[in-house]
Amino acid sequence: MRGIGNDANYWAGLEVGEIRLPQCATCETWYWPAPFRCAKCGSWDFTWKTIAPEGLIYSWTRVHHPFGGLESFSQPFVTLSVELPQANGIRLFGMLDDPRAPAIGARVSATIKTTHIFDRDIPALYWTHHE
Amino acid sequence: MNNALMNQTAVVGVGLRQYKRGTAPMAEQGVLIRAIVDACEDAGIDPSTIDGFATYGDDKNEPVRLMPDLGMTNLRWHTQVFGGGGGGIAGAFGLAAAAIISGQADTVAVFRALVQGDSGRLSAAVMAHHLNDHILGVGNIAPAIECAMRAQRMLEYHGVPRQCFEELVRASYFHGSRNPEAIAYGKELDLDAYREARLISEPFGLFDCSRENDGAGVLILTSADRARGMKKPPIYLTGVAQGTAKGWGDLLQNDDDYCSAGFKPIADRLYEQTGLQPRDIDVVQLYENFSAQGIASLIDHGFCTYENVAEVVRYENLIAPSGRLPVNTSGGNLAQGFIHGIGTAIEAVRQLRGESSNPVPDAHHCLLAGGPGAPTISSAIFSNVTG
Repeated sequence: MRGIGNDANYWAGLEVGEIRLPQCATCETWYWPAPFRCAKCGSWDFTWKTIAPEGLIYSWTRVHHPFGGLESFSQPFVTLSVELPQANGIRLFGMLDDPRAPAIGARVSATIKTTHIFDRDIPALYWTHHE
Repeated sequence: MNNALMNQTAVVGVGLRQYKRGTAPMAEQGVLIRAIVDACEDAGIDPSTIDGFATYGDDKNEPVRLMPDLGMTNLRWHTQVFGGGGGGIAGAFGLAAAAIISGQADTVAVFRALVQGDSGRLSAAVMAHHLNDHILGVGNIAPAIECAMRAQRMLEYHGVPRQCFEELVRASYFHGSRNPEAIAYGKELDLDAYREARLISEPFGLFDCSRENDGAGVLILTSADRARGMKKPPIYLTGVAQGTAKGWGDLLQNDDDYCSAGFKPIADRLYEQTGLQPRDIDVVQLYENFSAQGIASLIDHGFCTYENVAEVVRYENLIAPSGRLPVNTSGGNLAQGFIHGIGTAIEAVRQLRGESSNPVPDAHHCLLAGGPGAPTISSAIFSNVTG
């Protein structure tokens, strides 16, 4: 995958159906995006922890305009920023995968699905409202 | 605070060529050379006098290719601010000033050129700078989408009234309607059209979004000493700050001040460097890629807060000559035209020379707030006085 920073373990986690995020192995600081070095304590070692796929909508937008690249998307669609309380509030991108209107602070749960874009299949978090 | 840069350089010439997207009469390099020669004529200098260049936003025009047409003898300085968006626009003046003050160049052209047939769609180019699979996987592939997410939280969580978007857009169109060079010349904003416009990415409708033009803009910077003997009054670069601070950047949604435009640390540095405060600023040229980001930029620069934004971001308050905070007196990116924001810098100079279509009485200090919301940003203050 073409990620950012030191995030290969994130993609490996999605492949087996898990959200994994990095924590400094020494000082336990959570990071996202994934760093190579912990600037707080100087450590180069990170522990990738599996996080329950539950979060809170931090923000959202419903996309109407057919921007180039969205040809395989059914529009309008809602794209999200989701806060994960279990990982010190780290926020991840996501798609809203149910018809209910989004609201900031709403509780959501994720399933890992595939997005087709620019002739590639990319794993992504698809969130539904928590029942 | 080191303020060695303050008022040591000045803009002496400006040139702007703007066309409807897809209608530039020549290739991008040709449009840029036209605008450089326009700026030199405005300054009363021969184009061969130029010995340096500074730009931003992944401009594709390598200055060395401009040398033959301009008759340049020496290329002594050519630099670009990192980043794909408009965040670097004011920073480019900092690069130019650094060259001049340190003796590495004497006459520097700050420029941006964009002709779609040559450089492609700007929005796609800006996003290409940031695209990774986290972003692609959720379809967040345009600046409008990313900025809409920030705008939605500004409305829903921070309680900024939606009406503020309209007030800013309307003020831009008022100024543009009176500027013969503007795309909105002769037509103020139709409020019904604004309110009923098709949605782009909520909360943005069509008129909340800047739309791209073809063209080129150029500003000639030289030392204040040289500037004082030239054709037009010097417009001094009083201060400039660029970059960012911890907690902001290319952070996959994890910016600390999520709904801001990222400017607070930049504005702090700019005010400390110049000794000026928001109350000293007479007019603002505000890079607004989207309405909400323009408002966030005003908040970041200290003109208002989430609490009192509705009192400040009012149409009557934002228009020249009567408003207390005249913004985008050429029409700005929304209503003058959008060549990656270079028109806002040119209007800063024209306003301080008294050449604006919407003059602000007794204006001495103009803030140029660069592209908001980018991972790195920049701002500058220009003045027509040195005291």
